Amino acid sequence: MMQGIFHLLLLRKGRIMIELKNLTKQFGDFKAVDCLNLTVETGEFFGLLGPNGAGKTTIISMISTVLLPSSGEVYIDGHKLDRKASEQKRKLCVITQEYSMRQDMTMDEVMQYQGKLYFLPRKVIREKSDELLEFAGLKEYRKRTVRHLSGGMKRKLMICRALLVEPEILLLDEPTAGMDALSRRQMWNLLRQVNNRNMTIVLTTHYMEEAQVLCDRVALINRGRLQKLNSPSELINEQGPFAVDESSEDGISTHYFHNKEEAIRYLEYSDKQASFRATNLEDVFVECAGRELG
Amino acid sequence: MGILTVLWEKWVEFRRDFYKITIAAIISPVMYLIIFGLGIQTTSHGEPYLHFLIPGVVAMATMTGSFGAVAQSMSVQRLYEKALDQIMVSPTPLWQFILGQVIGGSLRGMYSGILILLLTFPIKTGLCYNGISFLVMFLNGMVFSTIALVLSFLAKSYSDAPRYTSYIIMPMSFLCNTFFSTEQMPVGFRQVISYLPLSQSCDMIRKIANGESSGSFGFIILSVYLIVFGLIAMLFIYKKKNL
Repeated sequence: MMQGIFHLLLLRKGRIMIELKNLTKQFGDFKAVDCLNLTVETGEFFGLLGPNGAGKTTIISMISTVLLPSSGEVYIDGHKLDRKASEQKRKLCVITQEYSMRQDMTMDEVMQYQGKLYFLPRKVIREKSDELLEFAGLKEYRKRTVRHLSGGMKRKLMICRALLVEPEILLLDEPTAGMDALSRRQMWNLLRQVNNRNMTIVLTTHYMEEAQVLCDRVALINRGRLQKLNSPSELINEQGPFAVDESSEDGISTHYFHNKEEAIRYLEYSDKQASFRATNLEDVFVECAGRELG
Repeated sequence: MGILTVLWEKWVEFRRDFYKITIAAIISPVMYLIIFGLGIQTTSHGEPYLHFLIPGVVAMATMTGSFGAVAQSMSVQRLYEKALDQIMVSPTPLWQFILGQVIGGSLRGMYSGILILLLTFPIKTGLCYNGISFLVMFLNGMVFSTIALVLSFLAKSYSDAPRYTSYIIMPMSFLCNTFFSTEQMPVGFRQVISYLPLSQSCDMIRKIANGESSGSFGFIILSVYLIVFGLIAMLFIYKKKNL
């Protein structure tokens, strides 16, 4: 039995779960997303990175049907997504950047409402809500209205709400924005756990460390266009895995090297204050976004 | 199923704000009844003016109750709380969401109307109400809930909701057969006003209250408004690119 399930999961793994075809979104004269083509596989942890205004949230909004594309299509598990596609929407759940919840509902009511919107039986809603609120450490506040919760608690509640319906795809728009370091680490662990259950996750984040730690692949987006797409380690290798930072009156400039010896040699001959370190995803991002911004 | 979910959400809202909703529903209508019906005691067609006024105020309370319940709640959910995003992404069919909002809004309107009926019950007016009166109130509530839904989809900021009330609800409250008959209006203007939904609702509730037949013309007019605005609401929720 278990072997069968495992085999089924393996079969599903590698299947395209989300496909964006020539996806474009225009607001008046401004092109927020420009002819984007992307695929995300089942069970993949996929990151959308980019500077402010790059179009990340617009992409998430189009995958969740809150916004409709100006042109192009979104496919979920091979089926075209639109606002009528209840079957495809059943697989999706989104955690938005803003606390998109009724502010005057209690935690219990928020969970109940979500369960009802996804047609879960009452008993299942009650049992799973208990379990999730307990897990998130929110159970004692369950009668408190959303407006009386702290930012971190609201964020946790949004995650509980999303996990209640066990979606196949979880869209996360800046899920750790405004969280302290400890809460962020807890969130990472939680996201890893759900991803290990073969849930496909698409994440937008400003925290490069977060993307580097969590994502199987990342897409660097700038001005609505795809700049780079690869695994974090491959992107770092492309850039050069070794970095030398040079400080001068004009600021810090970083040089990247594919070879460690080469980097150390550069460091030795540098007449400025310089330091050696490993390249990270932030370097890739800064280089990519910086080059584009000119 | 989705309709019941929306009705449940409306019930949660109603239960929580029961006193606020109840007080808000009766203040203006009671003021009108006191000022125009009891304070300035006049007659209309040889009858006490209160007999004319009560059915109009009942229809008006139904309208404001329904419109307010949907316009305010939806504007807040869409523009401030962003809670509409949760609905959009959920598998609940959006037509069920629309229908739930319209029925829920209409029930809130009926609650306001019934409150006025109960408050005026001790006054010996001889006015009578039956199932058709309540059907008119329900239909009137549905029409204004649907209009509120369309306007809340058009609203660009939170302050647009009260603005729509000033532009649409307030003029209708005063002009549409509520305080005086549309027959007293100038030709041309009278015809336009008499085809508005509140004019028809007032007329039907008043006729039934006076023991006459409501006729079917009013039902046809209300149904046309309901279908037209219902279709616009559907078009917006399914096709509007930036909702």
